[in-house]
Amino acid sequence: MAATILVAAVLCVPSPATAQTLPSGPIRANDGRLLVSGEVVATMSDTDNIAFFNYTDYEHNALRLFRFSLSGAWQPVRRLAFVGELRTEDLDRPEAYAAYIRFRPWIDKGLDIQAGRIPPSFGVFSRRAYTTDNPVIGYPLAYQYLTSIHTDAVPALAEDLIRMRARGWLSTFPVGNRTPGPGVPLVSAFRWDTGVQAHWKAGIIDATGSVTAGTLSDPHSNDNNAAPQVSGRFSVEPSTGLILGVSAARGAWLSKDVTQLLTSGADGNDYTQTAWGADAEYSRDHWLVRSEMVWSRWRTPLAASAPQGIDIDALAIWAEGRYKLTPRLFAGLRLDHLGFSKIQTSTELLTWEAPVNRVEAAIGYSIQRNLTARIGVQRNDRDAGRVHGRTYLAAQLAYWF
Amino acid sequence: MAATRLLRVWLAAALSMMALVAPSAHPDQRPPVPARRAATGTIRGNVDFKVPPVERERRVNPAELGMSPARDSGDRRRSVIYLDPAPRGAFDAREEPHARLDQRDESFVPHVLAIVAGTTVDFPNNDRTYHNVFSLSKTRSFDLGRYAAGHSKAILFDRPGIVRVFCDIHSHMSAFILVFAHRYFAVTDEEGRYHIDNVPPGSYNVVAWNEAMALDSRRAAIPEGGGDIELSFLFEKR
Repeated sequence: MAATILVAAVLCVPSPATAQTLPSGPIRANDGRLLVSGEVVATMSDTDNIAFFNYTDYEHNALRLFRFSLSGAWQPVRRLAFVGELRTEDLDRPEAYAAYIRFRPWIDKGLDIQAGRIPPSFGVFSRRAYTTDNPVIGYPLAYQYLTSIHTDAVPALAEDLIRMRARGWLSTFPVGNRTPGPGVPLVSAFRWDTGVQAHWKAGIIDATGSVTAGTLSDPHSNDNNAAPQVSGRFSVEPSTGLILGVSAARGAWLSKDVTQLLTSGADGNDYTQTAWGADAEYSRDHWLVRSEMVWSRWRTPLAASAPQGIDIDALAIWAEGRYKLTPRLFAGLRLDHLGFSKIQTSTELLTWEAPVNRVEAAIGYSIQRNLTARIGVQRNDRDAGRVHGRTYLAAQLAYWF
Repeated sequence: MAATRLLRVWLAAALSMMALVAPSAHPDQRPPVPARRAATGTIRGNVDFKVPPVERERRVNPAELGMSPARDSGDRRRSVIYLDPAPRGAFDAREEPHARLDQRDESFVPHVLAIVAGTTVDFPNNDRTYHNVFSLSKTRSFDLGRYAAGHSKAILFDRPGIVRVFCDIHSHMSAFILVFAHRYFAVTDEEGRYHIDNVPPGSYNVVAWNEAMALDSRRAAIPEGGGDIELSFLFEKR
């Protein structure tokens, strides 16, 4: 409903001439020291209350989402900036997606320190501008698809994990919080973590490292286990247009509320999420091609059979591309796979989650420079669940200033 | 006599229909000296601002990992002065001039370029990073794609009008190309001065254009014997 209202509002702009009255760039004040940008995105698709392929960690559907965000930066002096973003999804209460202070110790060196609710260091997709940098409409599986595991509840047996395959949107486990709720993705693109970050760029080299309260799959504003996550990315740009990066992260992912129920004597630090990532981007002329891989391992206790924990892995790999057909028209495509490791139950050897394949294609049209319309089709296939496969048609209007 | 005057007025009106807005005069785009060396005049003056032109800033992106470098966003005070209607003979030029719009330090240089229709504009990339120059303007829509430093692409602007130019990668980069059907225009210098030379005798509207301001125009007449005219503008409102 909210999305419909937004689309109607945007379509009320009858012509480019009228649209010029909308801001086309950031609003500035205080002699340019204060800047405010905004973004409105309305995404529409079929209702989905059975397959849940596109649900996110906020229990919203990424293909049926109205999002409004305001980003601001106040830079009182050259070395210091306060940066924030307020965001509402489906007109829910606005939340601080980003809120941090940025400090540059040496003005002519490429070293920056950021503290607060900061951008992710790991991978690249989370830092991309959703409206302009996404070649299609949906998200990559690694950053959106909900696996069944929870940070505040754990299985007693391997069978409990198997029972929850393909139910990540609303899963439950017998130890800990037994209220059904959404599981976690490999990396959350819908929430940023809280901590301290250092970024250094010199020539073709770019390095980022951070210490944060949460983990990739469950970023936090408050620490829930008194154990930090360390993450980082290193990238090089050997020639213009080619960027190669590697990422890593490790942090305790289970809440203290559940680890203290375990009889293993282990503390939260023993149950870690460890992730490795690799990314590549190449662009030239009217082409843009990217690929990213995320491997994640969660050390997960089986409260009754293996309280010290077992390793469950996930591997996501995708490639995406965009081609600009004309100044206004572009086409995008993403091929995406999410696979899982196998675990042994009393009777069989099965992947602990149901592998998913996704293919998505979209055509986009720039109505004006900062107003883009997209239509797309997304096909999902999964090895388990009430629905094994589903195709979605989606449309999106995105405006930014 | 009356018929000649009528014909002259009609011609001027018809030609002005073809003209449009535009800025900066490239050295090789100066109005040509009329074939018969009739007396001509120069219109010169200043353009000033009561309210400062708006600066264009980069879009706030909280996902950036470092401080944005200070960029020269281009001189927003550059204005374009042009004649409307254009003088007789204004459309006689036969050459196909070239102009240049650099991509340097994540800015377009110059920020305002005025050319005559039929000009080919080169877009060299002088940055270490990619740029993707494009325009969605009705006058000339184009997308040059991504190309690296040391490379250049060119676009022919064959229709009068205003072309807004952007970079698809760097949202703060923008420029204006004003394409005129005639050669009687000038872009102000860094101190706001301009001059339009070799203007044939006649009465004209002299129009001042700035990207952020409402158009301003003044009446000016070059006498039959030629001569200089001083004409200044003050932009008071956006």
